[in-house]
Amino acid sequence: MEDILEKAKIGSYVPPIDINDPATNTVPKIFRYQRRKYGNKKVAMRKKNLGIWQEYPWEEGYEHVKKVCLGLVALGLRHGEKVSIVGDNDPEWFWAEWAVQSAGGVAVGLYVDSIPDELQYIINHSESVIVFAKDQEQVDKILSFIEKSPQIRKIIYWEYKGMWKYEQPILISWREVEDLGKEYEKEHPGKFEELIDQTKPEDLAIISYTSGTTGLPKGALASHWTMLSNAYWELIAMPWFEDDDYVSYLPPAWVGEQFFGIAGGLIAGPRINFPEEPETLMENLREIAPKFLIFNPRLWESIASTIQAKMIDAHPFKKFFYNRAQTIGYKRADAELAGKQLSFLGRVINKVADLVVFRCVRDRMGLSGLRFGITGGGPLSPECFRFFRALNVPIRQIFGSSEILPLTAHISGKERDIEGESIGFVAPGREVRITDDNEILGRGDGLCLGYYKDPEKTAETLGDGWYHTGDAGHLTEEGKVIYWDRVKDLLELSSGIKFPPQYVEGKLKFSPYVKDCMVLGGKDRGYVTAIIALDYEICSRWAESHSIAYTTFIDLSQKDEIIKLIREDIGKVNRNLPEAQRVKKFANLHKEFDPDEAELTRTRKLRRTFMEDRYKAITEGMYSDKKEVHVEAAVVYRDGRRAVVKTVIKINKIEE
Amino acid sequence: MTEENELKVEDLWLNFGRIQALRGVTFSINKIELLGIIGPNGAGKTCILNCISGFYRPQKGRIFWRGRDITNLASHKIAPLGIGRTFQTLTLYTGLNVLDNLMAARHIKIKKNLITGALYFKWARDEEIRHRRYVEEIIDFLEIEHLRYRVLGTLPYGMRKRVDLGRALALEPKLLLLDEPMAGMSFEEREDMARFIIDIIEALKIPIIIVEHDMGVITDICDRVIVLDLGQQIAHGTPMEVMNNPKVVEAYIGKKE
Repeated sequence: MEDILEKAKIGSYVPPIDINDPATNTVPKIFRYQRRKYGNKKVAMRKKNLGIWQEYPWEEGYEHVKKVCLGLVALGLRHGEKVSIVGDNDPEWFWAEWAVQSAGGVAVGLYVDSIPDELQYIINHSESVIVFAKDQEQVDKILSFIEKSPQIRKIIYWEYKGMWKYEQPILISWREVEDLGKEYEKEHPGKFEELIDQTKPEDLAIISYTSGTTGLPKGALASHWTMLSNAYWELIAMPWFEDDDYVSYLPPAWVGEQFFGIAGGLIAGPRINFPEEPETLMENLREIAPKFLIFNPRLWESIASTIQAKMIDAHPFKKFFYNRAQTIGYKRADAELAGKQLSFLGRVINKVADLVVFRCVRDRMGLSGLRFGITGGGPLSPECFRFFRALNVPIRQIFGSSEILPLTAHISGKERDIEGESIGFVAPGREVRITDDNEILGRGDGLCLGYYKDPEKTAETLGDGWYHTGDAGHLTEEGKVIYWDRVKDLLELSSGIKFPPQYVEGKLKFSPYVKDCMVLGGKDRGYVTAIIALDYEICSRWAESHSIAYTTFIDLSQKDEIIKLIREDIGKVNRNLPEAQRVKKFANLHKEFDPDEAELTRTRKLRRTFMEDRYKAITEGMYSDKKEVHVEAAVVYRDGRRAVVKTVIKINKIEE
Repeated sequence: MTEENELKVEDLWLNFGRIQALRGVTFSINKIELLGIIGPNGAGKTCILNCISGFYRPQKGRIFWRGRDITNLASHKIAPLGIGRTFQTLTLYTGLNVLDNLMAARHIKIKKNLITGALYFKWARDEEIRHRRYVEEIIDFLEIEHLRYRVLGTLPYGMRKRVDLGRALALEPKLLLLDEPMAGMSFEEREDMARFIIDIIEALKIPIIIVEHDMGVITDICDRVIVLDLGQQIAHGTPMEVMNNPKVVEAYIGKKE
């Protein structure tokens, strides 16, 4: 362990592969290199199937990639053509991407829970000629708009269940593609190696479409060099090793998984684990006990609230010990952050708390083997950082985007400075500059090449050689970056004071009863307010244990007891905020925020303008003297039916 | 009797004392077919399933399964013939987890005896692995991986129904009888269940008889429908034909005065 920590220091760790060497300067070339190195001796991937971890050594993966690649060539895939991939995290997803890239094609990742319109936009915008679609559900979505996408030549599926009766000639199974590839190889022996040799670092490797917080998604172009150099610098900032276990859970369509799991995984060569189903993640996590994790803030927050919710239900005996230990842990975490040394007694007590409580909690949540966990894709609240730090689970923030990743990070060697208030140091190999209006700019190796078919946006965001993040923040003297919010999302109050709503939201969301929330303000408004979406599961459990009768979520959300509960939690948050940023009024929404109703993006970011418009009545109510407002909300049910729900929402004041 | 008819029910009569539950029901089912049986409460729908699976003895009439007369066979002898069923009121082991419930259903397929099992000889072990694999395939098919080790009693009703279907599938049925598989389910759960039923027909290529109240589901997925009223078969045909049959409308809604 000591040895690994020593090796993990900045400067002493060098990624095992030189990405400038002509033999290993593209993704397929590194894949080939690793297969030659490990062959059948090392497991590259594991996926749980039929209750058993199925192992795939490098050699086996290579065979699949070879056959699929040649199958694609036999299907007529030419250099530079785009191939879309949509499905859950599976070895097939990774293999498909490598096969496409080996054939000289460009992989475009799509999100599994996208609605057909979203898929159609990206497939057509990227001009994808072949689509990998995991199963019946994804195939159905694509078939629903197939006549509007005439460029699609084939749809390849890799899960056969439910596909028995599909007879459309455009469909072809993964196995059939592999058979085509086998045939092709007989006629053209050595073709696959030849194709790999032909890949060049400046060739396009992927187009990653951003989630579309602002308008239509835009496709960030990444060459092999972009992918590999981003992965390379990431590994230097946060090293991992060939005997590590990694869990691939975040969508491969997301750039973080692309640069980290796929490219970084190729370079460092750890064992990549795929959970059986998204629902079995927590169970599988415990079986794997990974050394290394990358989750989005939402997942970390959900782990934190799962722990808290389970402790609410726990036996009083256990609760007692947990609460004691947590107090001890928080004290330690705070002392560490303040740079203070704990007394000898303090250290002993902490050791005991760790042995008796924290160790068991970590084991339960599958975090026992964790060297460090990474949070990326959004800011994680400082409360959450502090919570995990108290549990002795090291979490590090990574900040970046499709354009450059990582830009800043809690890098190895500076563990002391890991805290939630900053998003870390400027990452190695990167430069950061802050403009006069507080925007964060960044540059470094592997900067995005531009946006596909959007020269205007490219010039605007990347024109001067710096990437304009659109995020506001500031750089401290020690080289740490403090993140505020999106530049355009900073809200101004009528007093002229600017405040970052997301930051306040992060703090509010740490209450186990709050699932989502939106903080409001504005030039014509004198104070801050919040719309709260309750966590139904936890609130209903709380109501049950306090014998509070209710009928529906709508009813529960307006119960006085629940309002009191939320008021207390907001009050706690308020105490740690500057006077001007404190939440003065709030309303419990009658439902949860729902991406299917376009309230959140697919990566669960708030669509603020849309929401303000949608809940106009509530917003206006909170900036008047009203005690309650009547709300009519259009609801789209899962089966497509539409209805209007009428309800009364109480506006609640928070007394100082 | 023609070859295509897997199951043939001829002139079935069933009385409980003076109450006539079934009055001369006759139908047959083909190799790959989904047959729906509908009717108002007390029409005798479940009685038909109970006669086929050997729980009830009809007073008159014959039931043939692949040409063999099974009318008076005991229920434990009918199940091994490949006739699996689910129940309207669940009959699972609530204290066992999902996996054990499904493994228990495999008992009629297990050939080894208590002693080899207890000593865990190689052949007993191999057999268990084989059965476990089959059960795992059912778990995969019904998408209940995340519930594998959950105790049945703690599961919501819709999920228990799914496990009940899994239990019937564990018998490797050649004919599946589903008794109100969608009763008491939410819209989403019903849609899932309908999808599983269609998938079963496509994957296993077996006939299924489904007894159901939900007319929407029946018309959507069934190939053929039989309508019962007071033990009598009042209509028979494709879902559209049956829906437009005046007798059916009368049985459900009543007669126009």
